[in-house]
Amino acid sequence: MLEIRDLHVKFHTRQREAVAGVSLTIHDGEILGLVGESGSGKSVTAMSVAGLLPRKQCDFSGEILLDGVELLHADRTLLRKVQGKDIGVVFQEPMSAMDPLMRIGPQVEEVLRIHTDLTREARRDRALAALAAVELPDPAGVYRKYPHELSGGMLQRAMIAAAVVARPRLLLLDEPTTALDVTIQAQILALLKKLNRESGISMLFISHNLNVVRKLCTRTAVMQRGVLVEEGAIETVFRHPRHPYTQRLIAAIPTRHRKEETP
Amino acid sequence: MKRRMNGYLLAGLIVTGLMAALILVGLVWTPYDPDALLAGPKLEGPSLAHWLGTDSFGRDIFSRVLQGAGTTFLIALSTVAIGAVCGTAAGALTGYFGGVVDEMLMRLNDALTAFPSILLALVLISILGPGNKYNVVIALGIVFIPSFARVTRTAFAALRDVNYVKSARLMGASSGRILVRQILPNTMQVLLPALTIGFNNAVLAEASMSYLGIGVTPPDASLGYMLSEAQGMLTSAPWYALGTGGAIVLLIFGVGLIGEGLQRRNGEVA
Amino acid sequence: MKYVCKRILMLLVTMVIVSLLAFAAFELIHGSAAEIMLGTQATPERVAELEAELGLDRPFAVRYLEWLAGFFTGDLGISYSYSQPLWELIAPKVGITLCLSLLSFVLIAVVSIPLGLWASRGRSRLGDAVGTVLDQLCMAVPPFFTGILISWLFSITLHWFVHGQFPDLGTDPAGALGYLFFAAAAIAIPRIAMTVRMLRSTIQGEMRRDYVRTAISRGNDRGAVLRRHVLRNALVPVVTFLAQTMAEIVAAGIVVEQVFAIPGLGRLLVASISNRDYPVVQAIVVILAFWVVLAGTVADIVNQRIDPRLRLGGAS
Repeated sequence: MLEIRDLHVKFHTRQREAVAGVSLTIHDGEILGLVGESGSGKSVTAMSVAGLLPRKQCDFSGEILLDGVELLHADRTLLRKVQGKDIGVVFQEPMSAMDPLMRIGPQVEEVLRIHTDLTREARRDRALAALAAVELPDPAGVYRKYPHELSGGMLQRAMIAAAVVARPRLLLLDEPTTALDVTIQAQILALLKKLNRESGISMLFISHNLNVVRKLCTRTAVMQRGVLVEEGAIETVFRHPRHPYTQRLIAAIPTRHRKEETP
Repeated sequence: MKRRMNGYLLAGLIVTGLMAALILVGLVWTPYDPDALLAGPKLEGPSLAHWLGTDSFGRDIFSRVLQGAGTTFLIALSTVAIGAVCGTAAGALTGYFGGVVDEMLMRLNDALTAFPSILLALVLISILGPGNKYNVVIALGIVFIPSFARVTRTAFAALRDVNYVKSARLMGASSGRILVRQILPNTMQVLLPALTIGFNNAVLAEASMSYLGIGVTPPDASLGYMLSEAQGMLTSAPWYALGTGGAIVLLIFGVGLIGEGLQRRNGEVA
Repeated sequence: MKYVCKRILMLLVTMVIVSLLAFAAFELIHGSAAEIMLGTQATPERVAELEAELGLDRPFAVRYLEWLAGFFTGDLGISYSYSQPLWELIAPKVGITLCLSLLSFVLIAVVSIPLGLWASRGRSRLGDAVGTVLDQLCMAVPPFFTGILISWLFSITLHWFVHGQFPDLGTDPAGALGYLFFAAAAIAIPRIAMTVRMLRSTIQGEMRRDYVRTAISRGNDRGAVLRRHVLRNALVPVVTFLAQTMAEIVAAGIVVEQVFAIPGLGRLLVASISNRDYPVVQAIVVILAFWVVLAGTVADIVNQRIDPRLRLGGAS
């Protein structure tokens, strides 16, 4: 459903290309984990898909096809029709990614307000359903709360609700669990898995943590310095990493897991 | 930090440099005696002989502007000097040592912000006695202490616990030495722009008070007082007001550009 | 509501400190009021007599409290130089100065907000440079000089108003406001330049925040991002800034009233300083300071309505 072909991105202020020829495919209903350390270009790749590249401040080439529609060079009007409706995005820091002065409800509904003709009541119902679907207790209460009144984990659930409320086909998750506690992290991963199973939504999950990716994804791609160094089924990559960088990433995972997983 | 020149800084230095040069010349020599009546024909417009024309007494306005700008410039400089030295000292000590005195001074500072600076200056000048240039300097100097103290206090409090200060302390440097040698140079980045803002406020405040007749009064020359004179001749000699006001504008504009340039050099894009 | 009460309480505390400062400053430093009133006729006996008459021989605290109460009862004592009850002298001028401040404030808000929004769009180097120089130039023109230029252009040249003939606010409010408008323009110009600059940097700062990226990822266009998210978030610092502007307006107003010969508090203040008429100076200083502190309080309450996060801590 999503096909990235030979993507290059270079910011004017940098010498090196942030993304230097990445090609990736995400199939229907698949969760692809994109792994790499900070600065490896994984976020820039995701932002290119989401149409969030600062186009005036960088050079870019290649193709991004969402069900055959080219997005990388698409004009703003077309892009806006896709943003939110076909592609939902969840960012790393839920606290700063939410508008601090707007209640949760209107923020969750915003995509519907932009892309649908639903009445106010219908939008509200959809938003409450979405808040319930991300397993937030008391959706009606959360609906009326401000971001600062919720915990990080609850906010991230609300962000996911806002991203999936219009039932997009692709969900981009840019390190959505990095800012959270380990226990909350596990809950969010379980939630994402459930959403994927129930609605068949495709996901691009970005993380620097190979272990988190392993819990969620079926397939993974590893990036280093703007280039894809390894790609394949998660267990294959995990057990038989071919690229030395991937081997180092796996070696960096705390020991207890490694003992269990690599006999 | 890049110690780089930029357009604003350069333009500001040029404008201010020219003004300062004119003022310096004006201190020792003016084309005519500024107070001489009938130095030329009365109420004559700008000409080669009288660059800014003459007033209704036939006095040469250019000479008067030079002299007035000199007074304004010197008063602003001494005012900023008083405010900066006392304010920086107070801010440095309270910011570095903290404690009860710091708390009390900050509360007093807060209460003082309720008074706009000109209002505060007016209160002080009415206590000290209006119409005397030394009182103007004292009043304005005192008025500008709190703002400098606030800026310095923040900077010093922030640098109190950075590593190079800590290591200097461990090596046995005295507090005075740390304050002056280690911290002060690093606060220049905020102090320099604060100086330019202070200077401009001082020019504005002095000119305002002299215009109102409670600042510098004759026989001392001042651009502010001259403007109030010029206002009376607005119909017959508009060039008097334009020349005098223009001098004030150029003074403030030049230093304002320097401040802008300094701030941009520090990377605070406005 | 709780916050509002708390803020009003803080306002009262600040005003007590401010008034105490104003009262004490004059009490401690200037010589005996009676001496000033008697001038050259001052003999020790007559000074003592007059002091007793004015109640100046009583303790400081008593006199301060009485004086403070005077703001509420309208009995502020007698002006030295006008030999007239202070309140009668001041009351008619309060309205004029209030109108001038409010008019300047409205002018600043109405002109600088659209201008600031417009300025926050442009990012070209040249536009930025031109804007900055223009800004610095506007800020460099002192309000009283602008006032002189305005009266030269609109009164002497164009005869749009008669300089020096201020219509009575009660009988000819439209004429008076028209006259005040020119003075307000003189006060507003440098502040507009500062406000535009402030708005521009605030909005551009907000545009770089994460929630803007989220809003764009949902398919908002630039206009919607501004309207629905950025403006509201930029409002809090702007409201605070505008409240500080009130202090500058009051300060500039003192001088500009003189330029346009407007019989307001500022003019009376200046005249009283020249005459060393301390009771008048004290009273006016406290009234003007109250006006400034009140603006700050209103701004805090407004901000607390805009930003729910400020409702948590209460103060600050």
